[in-house]
This record gives sequence, C-alpha cells and structure tokens, in this order.
Amino acid sequence: MTGLLNISASMQDYLEAILEISESERVVRITDIANRLNIAKASVNQTIGKLKEMGLVTQQIYGPVELTGNGKKLADKVRQRHRKLLTFLVDVLGVEPKIAEKDACLMEHVVSSQTMERLTEFLVANSSYNDSVKSTVDHREESYGKEAGLKPMKTRALSELKIGQKGKVIKIASKGTARKRILEMGITTGTEISVKGLAPFGDPMELIVKGYSLSLRKEEAADIFVEVQ
Amino acid sequence: MEAVKSIRDVSKIVIALAGNPNSGKTTMFNELTGARQHVGNWPGVTVEKKEGMYHYQDFQVQVVDLPGTYSLSAYSEDEAVARDYIALEKPDVVVNIVDAANLDRNLYLTMQLIEMGANVVVALNMYDEAQKRNIEINIEQLAKLLGVPVIPTISVKGKGLKELSQQITVSANNPNKSRIRIDYGKEIEEVLREIQEKISACGGIAENFNLRWLAVKILEGDEGVTKSVQLPDELMKMRNNAVQKLEAMWGDDMESVMAERRYGFIGGVTREVVTRHRSVEEKMSLSDKIDGIVTNRFLGIPIFLAAMWVVFQFTFALGDPMIGWIEGLFEWFGGLVGTGLDRIGASEMIISLVVDGVINGIGSVLVFVPNIFLLFFAISILEDSGYMARAAYIMDRFMHSLGLHGKSFIPMIIGFGCSVPAIMATRTLENKRDRMITILISPLMSCSARLPVYILFVSAFFSANQGLVIFSLYFLGIVLAIIMGVLFKKFLFKGETSHFVMELPPYRIPTLKSTLIHMWERGSSYIRKAGTIIFAVVVLIWVLSSLPAGVEYASQESWLGQIGSFTAPVFKPAGFGTWDASVALIFGILAKEVVVATLAVIHGVGEEALTQVIANTWTPLAAYAFMVMTLIYIPCAAAIGAIKRETNSWKWAGFAVLYTLILGWLMAVLVYQGGSLLGFN
Repeated sequence: MTGLLNISASMQDYLEAILEISESERVVRITDIANRLNIAKASVNQTIGKLKEMGLVTQQIYGPVELTGNGKKLADKVRQRHRKLLTFLVDVLGVEPKIAEKDACLMEHVVSSQTMERLTEFLVANSSYNDSVKSTVDHREESYGKEAGLKPMKTRALSELKIGQKGKVIKIASKGTARKRILEMGITTGTEISVKGLAPFGDPMELIVKGYSLSLRKEEAADIFVEVQ
Repeated sequence: MEAVKSIRDVSKIVIALAGNPNSGKTTMFNELTGARQHVGNWPGVTVEKKEGMYHYQDFQVQVVDLPGTYSLSAYSEDEAVARDYIALEKPDVVVNIVDAANLDRNLYLTMQLIEMGANVVVALNMYDEAQKRNIEINIEQLAKLLGVPVIPTISVKGKGLKELSQQITVSANNPNKSRIRIDYGKEIEEVLREIQEKISACGGIAENFNLRWLAVKILEGDEGVTKSVQLPDELMKMRNNAVQKLEAMWGDDMESVMAERRYGFIGGVTREVVTRHRSVEEKMSLSDKIDGIVTNRFLGIPIFLAAMWVVFQFTFALGDPMIGWIEGLFEWFGGLVGTGLDRIGASEMIISLVVDGVINGIGSVLVFVPNIFLLFFAISILEDSGYMARAAYIMDRFMHSLGLHGKSFIPMIIGFGCSVPAIMATRTLENKRDRMITILISPLMSCSARLPVYILFVSAFFSANQGLVIFSLYFLGIVLAIIMGVLFKKFLFKGETSHFVMELPPYRIPTLKSTLIHMWERGSSYIRKAGTIIFAVVVLIWVLSSLPAGVEYASQESWLGQIGSFTAPVFKPAGFGTWDASVALIFGILAKEVVVATLAVIHGVGEEALTQVIANTWTPLAAYAFMVMTLIYIPCAAAIGAIKRETNSWKWAGFAVLYTLILGWLMAVLVYQGGSLLGFN
C-alpha cells in the first residue's frame, strides 16, 4: 500500500491538482495539470507516468487522467493536510493568507514527509486548538482552500520552471559542496533567476543569474525554491 | 612552500594573480610575463603552479598565477591552494582580475580577498566587453567603495598593463589595507567581535592570519580553517551556541546568510557604480544567438559530434603523417649512428644499446609529440572560445547517467585516437573524483595503436566479418569503460556525487598567442614528465631482450624470452599460452602496435608473411581472446607515464597497470573458455 510517506512532495502536488481539476472539469487533461501547476507538459507527462506505475492514476495514451481509488484517497489526504496546515498558519499563528499559502507549500516540499505526517496528525488531534478556533477554521478553510485552488500556485522548485520563466529565490535546500557552490555563484535568497534553456537531452538547464549564464542539473535545481514572477 | 622572503629586497616584488575562471586571468599572466614562465605543481596536489617574471622600472616582479576560483572557501584543491598562498606566503600585492562585464559575481572573490587583509589591486578587465554591453562603470567610485586601487584593463589587447604595473609597484611599496568591511548585521557582528576577542586572548594563532577573516571563517564553520588551526574548545562551544541561536532566528543556515550579506553588499556597490545594469530581459547578445544554435535541442548534438570529429581529425589526420616523419627521422638517425659506431669498432652490444635502446627510446617519446601538440591546440581553442563548457553541458545528461561528469566525454572520445592525450585532456575536469575515474577508464577506449594488432589477426582468421569483429572489440572497450567507471565510483571514489554548477562563459574569439602558449605549456610538460618514464621502460625492455650477453635479441634464451616462457602458462586458459605470445604482450607495453612487429621478429618473417604464420599456428578463438587481451591489458608505457604525471602518484599508475592486466586476463579467459564451451575453436 502506498502511503503519503513514500511519495514525493511534488507528486503530492500532482495528486491534489488532479483531484481539484476533476471536481470542476469533466475530464482532467495533461494540459490542465500543466497549467495549474505551471509546469512544462513534458515534465507532467513524466510524473504522470510514475504515478501510473505506482497505481495512483490511470491514463490511456493521450486520454484523460483519472485517479484510481487509491489515488483518490491519497489526494484527499494531501488536500486535507494542505488545508490543515494553511488554517493553522493563518488562524493560530496569524500569518497573512498569501504568505501562509506560500509557506505551507514550502513546508510540504522541504520538511521530511515523516515530520509532515506527524505535524498534521498533531494538528488534527490537538482538540484544544480545534475547539477554540473551530468555527472560524471551518469557515476559512473553505474560503482559503478555494482561493488557493483556483489560482496556480506560485512557489515552485527551480527545476519546474519553463524556458523563459523567471523566479525569485525564496529557499535553497541544497546540501554540501553543491550548496556552497550555488551560494558562491550568486544564487542567494532574493536573487532573480530566469531559465534560458535546456540542454538537448532535457537536462541540465541554463539559467541567467546576475547577468551571466549558469548551468545546473535539474536534480540540483529541484532543491532551489523560487516564487514565479 | 617556496619563495621565502627572509630579507625584504626593495627591488623585488612578489605578486599573485587571483580571479574567477574566464576573467582573462591567464591572458593577463601571459601578457605580463611573456615567455618567461615556469609551470610546475603546487606541492602535494595536482594543481598546476605557474610562475613568471617581468621587469618594470627598477623592479623585478615575480608573478604567481593562482588557480582561477570563484571563491576562497577551500572546498576544492584549487581554492585551498589559492587561499593558502595568500594567507601564508603573503605576496606583496594580490592583483585581482575582475571581469567588468560580470561585476556582481566577480566582486564576491574581491570581497574575500579584501576580507583576508591582502594588499589588493583590482584589474577591471575586459573593459571593452562591458562597454559593448552598455555597462558604464564609475571606476573612481568603485575604488572608493572597495577601498582598493582599480585599474581598467583589456588584457587581450594589452591595454592598461602599464598603468597596472605602475600601480603594482606603488602598492607594493605602500601596502594598503582596505578599510572597507562587509557589515554582516548587528547580530553577526557581535558574535564576530566575541570570536575575535577569544582568538587574540589565546595568542599564537592570531599572528598568522587576519583576525576578522579568521573570525568570519570560524563562524562560517569553514573546515579548511577549523581543521588547520588549533582552536580552544571553549571558543568552538561559544561559536556553536551562537550559530544555533542565529540560525533559529533566521530560519536559514549561517553560510547562506553570510553569502547573502556579501552579495547584498556587492549589490549595493554595483548599484552605485554601474550606470546601465544588464537586466535579465535584455535583448539577445551575439553570444546568446550562438548559444541558441549550439545548444539547440535538435542541432546541439550533431554540432557537438561534428566538433569532436574535427578535433579528432585535426589531431590524428594532421598528426599521423608527422609521426611518419619522426619515425623516419629516427630510423635514419639510428642507421647513421649504427654505421658510425660500427666503423669505429664499437661492439654489437654497444651499437644495439645506442640504436635500439637510447635512440629508439627517445623516438618512441617524440612520436606522440605532433598528436599531443595538435590536440592541445584544438582543446585550447575549444576552451578559450567557451565551447568546452557547452560540450559538457550538452553531454552531461548522458554522462551523468553513467555516474560521470559531462566533461568526461571529451577525454573518452580522444581515447579512440590515443590514450596519452586523452588522459591529459582530463585536466578540464574540476572534480578530482571524476577526473581520477576518467583517467583510469580512458585506456579502455581502443586507441589507434591497437588497430594494427586487430588487423593482423582479423585478416588471418576473420576476413569474412572483418568490420564486425573489429567493431566488437571497440564496443567491448566502451562497455568495459562504463562498467569500470561505475565500479570505481561505487567502491574507490565513494562519497558525494559531483555537482554541475558550471558557468557558461560568453563566447570569445581565442587569441593565437594564448592558444599557442597553452599548447606549448601542456605539450612540453608531457615531454618532460611522461618522456622520462617512457624512455626508462624502453631501455629496460632493451636490457631484458639483450641479456645475458651473447643471446640473440629478443630470442627465447634472452631474459625477456625466459620471462615469456615463465609467464606463458598463465595465459594457457586464455588459449595463447606460448612464450612468443607472452613476449609479444610484454613488448606491447612499449606501444600496442609493437605486438605485431614482435611476433614478426620472433617468427623470423616479414609482417606480410606473418598473417600466414598466424593462420597456421593459432586458432580463431585464441586469436580473438588475444585481441581482447591486447585491447584491455596494461596501458602502453606512454599512457602509464601520462597516468603517473596526471595523478601525481605511482600508486594510481600501478593500479591502472594491475587492474587492466587482471581484467584483460579475465576477459580473455572468459572469451576462450566460453567460446570453447559453445563449440567454437
């Protein structure tokens, strides 16, 4: 059985996106997912392939994407968790909704899945907080969930940007010498980065940073989070 | 380290050149020193050390070219070398070459040099390129904000050199430490002050280093510093506590915050001095247009392959006739000396030593010279033009899936021509692990010297499927290279995989002068370093073939023949357990193509008739196993020399010999035994 623990944060984004599109549209096409997540269609195809292998979605060639029973369950869980986190940030910590949306997304990507799991369990189980804010939460959860669901999410891993897209660095999760080198080369929080191109095999990517060209493998760019502009 | 200045001689100045890769530092070094340079190695590492000299007015200026680095954080050998030199040797002046068209990132290194307390002079290089991009820099203001002299230069055109030399002598005689320091913010500054106090309180350490720089490095947790300097536990504890507190406060680690502050400071500087900053969305420059074609999704690979083909052709098609001339020259010279010695009554032994040993030995070193010089000419052009970085960029996806780096592809392709330049071409790999692996596997690429051996056996047995059989050997070489690469990575060079954070420099037209200097430096270092080893092996084999006194050269009675008879049983399972096959293999260490000549000599026939002899005395399966052995076993003497030279270690050269020998034997046995089982003979 595939649990939330062993699927990556970006796959969880996919599940959530598919779920939400399926609620408003008749069918879910690759294009819809690509638009919502602001990711190139080619990468969407790849990830959908992986999700198919995991038995979470089904898709005939060029046909619509559908969640399997398992997939639906997981997607629900992801969404629920996302909203729980969001309401916690907004209502308990008093974070601005826009920032909370961004941070919730970042937390899901950077924090280990185990911690995320425990955190949401804690949020759900912690009745004192649930009781005290229950009325507002129910109400707001609805509205923020909707608001966030309608707009494409703006926080992305750098690797998911399309050619020509620009972003501002908000978090660098790289480790070791790669991190050092990335910082030294001028990618620090707040730096603007645009994607200039991809190598012929689709990886690495060519970026413009501080007016010069820098190449990064996608796996390295996946650790850099940007706010798409 | 050398260059100890016990008594300060006023007329002598020692300067170090520091700068980012692609900032024009090497060109500057060449322009300053001309031909008066010396290339060596930094002690203990494989990083090249270049030194040169020039005179200006009454001063004799010694120039040390530090490796090109983006930073001085000592996580790569290059950076450690540069940093140690500046911190410990304390050159009179550090000339920092800064790419004017890429000011932000280049100033990162500048700020570190200033932070170290070096006596910095900034050469604002490629000033014309910046102007072309409409980047106007207020130089006076820049000098003021950095607190160091700034001289605009265009190194490729030799502009601004006089002013720079003038400034160097002035600065050397009036050391000036910039008072500018990056303000890391109140919280960090407090901790820095505390660390500084603690260090100066325990004395000793502080004398060698700039106090603030040391404090910054300790706070950053720089391993190069914390490991080399004995720090009191109490200090480290205080540091760790402070870091924990600060990191919790910012929600980010120390390194990031400090890099951010540095770049923040630099951003402030450039905002003030640069009038038209190059924004992200500026219109396409020529470089971008070229890039659009060269790294194009569809054209990128064909262009890359075409470029490799041209390099290959240039190196081998142009070089091979020259090899013929060199061989001819040495043959003629050998003959001349031989007759000369004979006439003055020298013994046969002496003649053989001089002609077969010494002259032949020197010849076998020099035959590689045309290939190597041409190859390095081509590689220099690829590097200086900026294409090398694109080649790595294009091939990285493929090479990375094999656990290697994009830049490993080029040496491996060159390996099809000759392992020696292939091994030397690994210098473009920055990461030591990638480089070692590439060096160790490139001899498995079937070089052109192995082809004559294949041709001999193929025409004896496989004339119907010539192409297929030869191709199978090339293919086997590639497959084994990949497998060994993966194994080495897994077992010998474990640890963090190398990253691919690489600058793609703008395209530039390489200058002939720097290309020639590059070619000369690398080519001549081959002759000096690998040459001695090759020569020694050639002479050793001569000695073994000629002793004990009186035996026929390379006969079964010679020591070499005895060794051959002794080792022959080892190759019995591989199907070629005869003394002559063993001797041919031993001679093949000189150069793989010598296997053919050796068999011809042993059988007392010309190379033409040899095919017939082989066809009569060998079986097809044994012949194939022997070809497999020839492909894999021990790299030739020249390649061994190159491995020793490039890894700076006998251990790795020995390892390459051993592993290829074992692998070759295993594969040959596998082929022979497997083939026998399948009913081949």
